[in-house]
Amino acid sequence: MTQPAPSAQHHGPDLAKPAAPPPRQERGPRALGLRADVRNLSLLGVLAVLVAVGGFTEPDAFLDTGNLQLILTQSSVIGVVTVGMTFVITSGGIDLSVGAMVALASVWATTLATQEYGFAGILFTAVVVGVAAGLVNGLLIAYGGMVPFIATLAMLASARGLALQITDGKTQIVTVQSVLDLGLPDAYVLGIPPLVLVFAAVTVAGWLILNRTTFGRRTVAVGGNAEAARLAGIDVRRQRLYLYLLSGLCCGIAAFMLIILSGSGQNTNGNLYELDAIAAAIIGGTLLSGGRGTIVGSVLGVLVFTTITNIFALNNLQSDVQQIAKGAIIVAAVLVQRRTSRHGET
Amino acid sequence: MAPEPPLLTMSGITKSFPGVRALDGVDLEVQAGEVHCLLGQNGAGKSTLIKVLAGAHQPDGGTITWHGAPVQLSSPITAMRLGIATIYQELDLVENLSVAENIFLGHELTTAGFVVRTRVAEIEASALLARLGHPEIDPGRPVGDLSAAHQQIVSMARALSHEVDLIVMDEPSAALDPDEVANLFRIVDGLAADGVSVIYISHRLEEIRRIGDRVTVLKDGRTVAVGLPAESTPTRDIVALMTGRDVEHVFPPRPASGVPDTAEPVLTVEGLSRKGEFEPVDLELRPGEIVGLAGLVGSGRSEILETVFGARKPTTGRVTVAGRALRPGSVRAAIAAGIGLAPEERKAQALLLTESVTRNVSVSSLSRFARAGWVDRRAERKAARTATRELSLRPDNPDAAVRTLSGGNQQKAVLARWLLRGCRVLLLDEPTRGVDVGARAELYAVIRRLADEGLAVLLVSSEVPEVLGLADRVLVLREGRVVHTADARELDEHRVLDLVMEGSPT
Amino acid sequence: MPETSRRGLLFGTAAVSAGAFLTACTSNEPKEKATAANNQPAADDKPGTPVTIGFAGPQADHGWLNAINVNAKSRAEKYSEVTLEITEGSNDTAAQIGQVKTLINKKVDVLVVLPADGKALTQVGLEAMKAGIPVVNLDRVFASPQAYRCWVGGDNYGMGLNAGHYIGEQLKGKAGAKVVELAGIDNLELTKQRSQGFADALKNYPNVKLVARQAADFTVESGQAKMAQLLQAQKQFDALWNHDDDQGVGALRAIQQAGRDEFIMVGGAGAKSAMDAIKADNSVLKATVLYPPTMAASAIDLARALGQNKGIAGLSEMEIPTSLTLYSAVVTKDNVDQYLPTGFS
Repeated sequence: MTQPAPSAQHHGPDLAKPAAPPPRQERGPRALGLRADVRNLSLLGVLAVLVAVGGFTEPDAFLDTGNLQLILTQSSVIGVVTVGMTFVITSGGIDLSVGAMVALASVWATTLATQEYGFAGILFTAVVVGVAAGLVNGLLIAYGGMVPFIATLAMLASARGLALQITDGKTQIVTVQSVLDLGLPDAYVLGIPPLVLVFAAVTVAGWLILNRTTFGRRTVAVGGNAEAARLAGIDVRRQRLYLYLLSGLCCGIAAFMLIILSGSGQNTNGNLYELDAIAAAIIGGTLLSGGRGTIVGSVLGVLVFTTITNIFALNNLQSDVQQIAKGAIIVAAVLVQRRTSRHGET
Repeated sequence: MAPEPPLLTMSGITKSFPGVRALDGVDLEVQAGEVHCLLGQNGAGKSTLIKVLAGAHQPDGGTITWHGAPVQLSSPITAMRLGIATIYQELDLVENLSVAENIFLGHELTTAGFVVRTRVAEIEASALLARLGHPEIDPGRPVGDLSAAHQQIVSMARALSHEVDLIVMDEPSAALDPDEVANLFRIVDGLAADGVSVIYISHRLEEIRRIGDRVTVLKDGRTVAVGLPAESTPTRDIVALMTGRDVEHVFPPRPASGVPDTAEPVLTVEGLSRKGEFEPVDLELRPGEIVGLAGLVGSGRSEILETVFGARKPTTGRVTVAGRALRPGSVRAAIAAGIGLAPEERKAQALLLTESVTRNVSVSSLSRFARAGWVDRRAERKAARTATRELSLRPDNPDAAVRTLSGGNQQKAVLARWLLRGCRVLLLDEPTRGVDVGARAELYAVIRRLADEGLAVLLVSSEVPEVLGLADRVLVLREGRVVHTADARELDEHRVLDLVMEGSPT
Repeated sequence: MPETSRRGLLFGTAAVSAGAFLTACTSNEPKEKATAANNQPAADDKPGTPVTIGFAGPQADHGWLNAINVNAKSRAEKYSEVTLEITEGSNDTAAQIGQVKTLINKKVDVLVVLPADGKALTQVGLEAMKAGIPVVNLDRVFASPQAYRCWVGGDNYGMGLNAGHYIGEQLKGKAGAKVVELAGIDNLELTKQRSQGFADALKNYPNVKLVARQAADFTVESGQAKMAQLLQAQKQFDALWNHDDDQGVGALRAIQQAGRDEFIMVGGAGAKSAMDAIKADNSVLKATVLYPPTMAASAIDLARALGQNKGIAGLSEMEIPTSLTLYSAVVTKDNVDQYLPTGFS
């Protein structure tokens, strides 16, 4: 019997012979996809309720384009970080160092020496520092056998330390005009701030990669069952390396965005981003244990948090109330999720 | 029958979960001191029923009578206080605690209510273990260090550390070797002699004949037969009750012509060994041939498969596929050469439980459907569906969550993965574990058909009849060494058992 | 294969040059050296008996705290007879207690302590005093007066008070004037004091009303975010008080982004960037209320005086006072040149 080479483009012999006539594409309920959609819908519902509350309590300040621009802009930096975090969590990992990587990249990219190289120097440095830090995380986890929690915790500490060492605790003001200009209204494209455009682009790219590419499939497979993925022929270690690299890349991009937004670099940048990003991904519906991730959900999660902060600030409520509400939302969202997923179980 | 009422009567028990009616009027009656067997396919409601009995689930309807009086089993503690102990298939032991600590977990022997009397606990634990025929288990050792069989003994000792009238055992023999099963039977017989009733759940009919008194059969959440005599009811009747159909021929016929010895082997294993696991092994696999590896747990059979597949790195030797040597210890090299593995622990080692059938099938062939990293999902789905149809995977829905499939269909999803990959050598490790009786025959037929179509299959199974019925050639393993190679038709079960246990104390 | 290796080589070269570039980019040395912070004459410049001063402060992760360290060091360098034993700053209370104990064991002559947490370090202050080492407590006050010989620090309530008076005077005669407050970290006592002082001052000006308040957390990022929200919430107002010039960098950025300029802004603490902006007079920032980091230099002066058993020149007392509260001066365009050397970055 002749067997086609396994790498050949056609199927095995048993598949080549005519099987049952392929029926027309079934349009039945797609169990898995549908459930993710429902979850996203419920977050959209939360968002709709928030918009109603905002519009009711502060009709003048809440419902105008300026506020929409504001909410989207305030979401953009943490949003980009959350997209990277979503990939890592989907693969069953965690990246506690995102805030620290943003801080390190933003201060490294705004030293006096870097600023001499202008726009390109700042952008290049922010991205490369982010990627390099992600590379270290990835190597430690994928090839050093370290637990992600520990490896990225170590990165959190050392990146923050390095950021402090570079700045000496000082605020580094950006003087490169082309960078500063990107954060001003004159740079808006059809009323959309450039930062929001970057956020949108990263979201779309993240969604496509997670849902439409082999990279995304492998990410989900590794998160769902790393041993099964390995025995199915996936290079699990290389995949993990790339994932932390990706998270670092997102942090580098976010750092550049933060530089544009705040016109400065400071070692305190990105404070507690790790928690905000994890929280947004989780309420969005990404499983903390891995194996399921949704970029749309994560982005909605970020928008929900930013909108709450916005409404509270517009109503002049203080930070204590804001924090309480944030905690309550996380608990409520996860409880709702658990109910829906238990329903799906049997 | 004595006028004495039955120890336990459950009647008309119903239990629904969202979307599923798990129990739809179940009746069960257990006499004092009897070994009562509970049979049913996966999904028939056995697990739900024993959880109701253990107090872990609350029934929606029906009555439970215990020692002649109605009771409510509102929590696991209530059930335990009444004298009902349950030993689950997945043992619920704390690995870091010692044997004695596990046995007395939750009802520690204490002085003044809080000082744990470790020494006394260990002495009592030893007594319990001795009663179970295992005095050699050290009560001070952490449970995590013990073998699966010994852990099960500890679990039983824990059950016996309470005053019990009834012990429920959920597939206690699943993880055991024949000699350990013999000991299990001794324990069960002893319990019955002491007047303790046992509800015994197993897929293996021969075990039920050996130790059972009466049999209750469940199907689709209902009781379809009560109190059948375990020894005398014909197998085909029981299978028919469980499946609702007759199962005449379990194993498919071998091809009349057979595989010519002169055919070029597709897989050649030469001097393959792993220190501490198995001695150098040689074997050849020709296209169309099924070769079985028979041996006890710990004889190195799974280790051999995983080493051939590259999941473990060999100490010596090499694996050649169609004349080309594989890079040792590389799963990716093995897969690229056309080897596929259906591992023993399907859920832990093969399935992506959060994913659909399509994605489980396509995971090893993704690059075929991808251009520059982009997956053509239509082509992927179509190809996966062709493969699953080829194996009659049910339900015929490529988007179904693989988690919701039965054991047999999950196994088919794993096989479809390798078919789609175009593999030429299939390594099957316990292919029917967790697959119920009715579905097994179908799986055997699939495996034989794949071989007939030109695949070479290497099969590992702890069930000797399965190896003998399915394989063309059999290699018998003992303590990491191949002790015998023969045509399957020249062997019988006794001969194989003699070979695998030759020289062992039992 | 050659394809891959060439790609590898290219990547390698790029990585190496990127690495070299990045290493060069950590430098923060400005082209010309900035002048040293303080040039005023010390109270008593004549060298006296040798004194060893132990200095323990929190981690300098913030511009103002960094300026504290710089001021203490440069002041000590001015005196040939003073040796400064400075510890690694720490925000961990336990670690800081350990550091102070080490200094006690080293038998320094005087201690200057800026505690990460005043209450938590009281015990170790008492210990030092009992060991006969006078303690100069800097800024964050110990729970017991027995734990220090002298306290020197800023006046948070006074900051708010002076900021409120300045704004009130500026808006005098304007009916229905609206004021907005951008506070610092809300769970700090000092933020409460600053807000209280501000509110008390505004009571003197019935035409002025505080219409909104949000708390940032002393970082540029939070300053930008919270200010952007305030600007969205209040479409028009007349004055803004921002508690901290570091977060003020972000606040100014948000104001610039919103294109607003109808109000005046008053900062807090006295960063150099704020003073530069006040001097340039081209933004809404018109004043900043000092919380001077020069207090660290004063603390060194006091410690030296304690070590040499002297009083303070210019006062008729034999001993130095037990408590010195510094004045929170309002820096405006008119007097900025005088304060510019004390500005920190």
